[in-house]
Amino acid sequence: MGEKKENAFGFESMVATWTDAMNAFWGSLAGSAASSAEKPGTPPETEKQASSSHLDAMGKALKNWQTLAAAMSAPASVGSLLKSAGAMPELLAQFAQSAMSSFLELQRKAAESAGRIGASVEAYRFENIDENLFHVWTDIYEKEFRQFFRIPQLGLTRTYQEKLNAAADTFNRFQSTYTEFLRMLVLPFNRSLAVMQDQMGELAEKGELPEDSQVVYRMWIKVLEGHFMTLFQTPEYVEILGKTITALADYSHAKDAVVEDMLHSLPVATRTELDELAREVYELKKCIRKLEKRK
Amino acid sequence: MTQFKIPVDLIVSKLAEDAERVQNRAKKASEVLLSDLDAKLAQTPYDIVYREDRVTLKHYRPENGIRYKTPLLVVYALINRETMLDLQPGRSVVERFLEAGIDLYMIDWGYPTRKDRFQGLDDHINGYMDNVVDVIRKSTGVAQVNLMGICMGGTFSVIYSALHPEKIKNLVTTVTPTAFDTRKGLLHVWMKHLDVDRVVDTYGNLSADIMNFGFLLLNPARLMIDKYVGFMENMDNKTFVENFLRMETWIFDSPDLPGEVFRQFIKDCYQGNKLIRNQLEVGGQRVDLKKLTMPLLNIYGRFDHLVPPEACEQLTRHVGSADTEDICLDTGHIGIYVSSKYQREFAPKIAGWLKERDQIPKKQSPRKKTKAAPPSAGLKKTVQKTKPVKKNTPAGAKPESSVSGTVTRKTNG
Repeated sequence: MGEKKENAFGFESMVATWTDAMNAFWGSLAGSAASSAEKPGTPPETEKQASSSHLDAMGKALKNWQTLAAAMSAPASVGSLLKSAGAMPELLAQFAQSAMSSFLELQRKAAESAGRIGASVEAYRFENIDENLFHVWTDIYEKEFRQFFRIPQLGLTRTYQEKLNAAADTFNRFQSTYTEFLRMLVLPFNRSLAVMQDQMGELAEKGELPEDSQVVYRMWIKVLEGHFMTLFQTPEYVEILGKTITALADYSHAKDAVVEDMLHSLPVATRTELDELAREVYELKKCIRKLEKRK
Repeated sequence: MTQFKIPVDLIVSKLAEDAERVQNRAKKASEVLLSDLDAKLAQTPYDIVYREDRVTLKHYRPENGIRYKTPLLVVYALINRETMLDLQPGRSVVERFLEAGIDLYMIDWGYPTRKDRFQGLDDHINGYMDNVVDVIRKSTGVAQVNLMGICMGGTFSVIYSALHPEKIKNLVTTVTPTAFDTRKGLLHVWMKHLDVDRVVDTYGNLSADIMNFGFLLLNPARLMIDKYVGFMENMDNKTFVENFLRMETWIFDSPDLPGEVFRQFIKDCYQGNKLIRNQLEVGGQRVDLKKLTMPLLNIYGRFDHLVPPEACEQLTRHVGSADTEDICLDTGHIGIYVSSKYQREFAPKIAGWLKERDQIPKKQSPRKKTKAAPPSAGLKKTVQKTKPVKKNTPAGAKPESSVSGTVTRKTNG
């Protein structure tokens, strides 16, 4: 009962009023267009014919709008419109929920990682690389956002839109992989500084703290170099390096495809066309050299 | 509670001294950086005697006459440029070879562009290199030339010598990777997991900037931090600045690498390790190292982080030659060529080794193919041993005792 009452003064009645008004508006517009077409005019015969065909077309278009408005004001259509309007907040809520869960996941993993900061630093050891920290961006993107770029495209511009989506998708994937890669490169700095703190503490205890900043720098650079060398041998680093290079190549490939599409409308050769030409020249030259050597 | 003994007064006075020194250095440095700096590379005169596409052949003539019967062809890598061998007067491998009286030729691979992306190992080895060798043979009237390869150029030279042994008299390989199945060098570790098809299909050639970034990542602490800290500390020293700029110019003067060469080199060598196993095919021909029967001198660096000793030292055990020698120098990949100390040892050692094997060749038509020398019957009786170098100094060579490293020699028993 309450719901009905709410509908009577709420969204449903507003929509019904709006569709009725639309119906009346398009109806009167179509009527006035028709009457203006019937008025006696001064223009010559050809002009008259042209203007009457325009007015006919306009009249038909307005009639179409009136029909559409009338159809929309029918109770069944209003109901369906209301239903889809009701679904909108649901869709938005779903989208927001997805974004929020990603954010919470990120926060959770960041908190987990932050908890490990106080743990003791194992110099020159990268066995326990915090994978959460490195995979979190890529995981979130892959699970939550990537699907939107894979929605099938339709119509005349389908292929172009697909390529644009692929470029956006590969760019995002490259960014997330690159972020992971850079974060891994920061690790040796963090660890070397922690090792330096320990070493300086020990030296201070012994009263052997270096007076020369150069000595401290030399110590640090050696420790840093050692950490880099150890990190670079780890399977995690090798994996992310390979992934970053492949992701960059994927993005470059997708971006080039979009640029080539744009170039098609300009009077210039695309890279693919030039590559084809270069291959033909290369093969021809090779043939000629073989023939020359046979002489 | 532990009481730390921190000499705060000393540290503070040291900081004050440092600040004053930095101020003075900055003043002098501005004078140096604003002055005329000589950072030119490759100043030794040469003639270009052959040109094919982007590839040129440089010919260096010794001022005091040629004292070798066989000319020497130097093949540099496709990565970076051959100008490293002629950094500056007084610090130049080229100069040392010319002083010894070697008739010297050097390949300049030029700068590959997009149109060169389809050129593979076959085009470089059986194409450009073979044509260059023929040009030298024709112009000098010798049947065979001496071949010296550097890094990837060494790998090319090994492949070439195995495919065309009749044209090569002596082979010298320096910091040359031939056995790729090792985890000692980071490149060997990283390249195993590279999706090379994706990279080549996308970019065509491998961009020099990407390659250089990769090389910097091999040791960021030294190459991206410490190196420039060293520069800041010495930028009031004109000679240091000039030398630094020269090296900097050379390091970043990098041509792109033709895509197909990169694809084949990574797939067949770094990922497949086919060369040392005699499984590599170039231009439809299998590369059999047993066909490499000419004398072989193999030099590499003990502290080479790009091409570690493990990648170089196996070659002499796999070739068909009965006359091989390994020299492991106590230096790195570039140090062999640019450090003054090793230049004094390395180039004269090669000159001496070549002199010892420089018999007068029969003058033959260069186009006429000479049959490859059959493998020595005494091959199975070869002795491979490490000897104190001083005792084995060949006639005409600088005493080997000056070579800081290990020498392993294989000779007929």
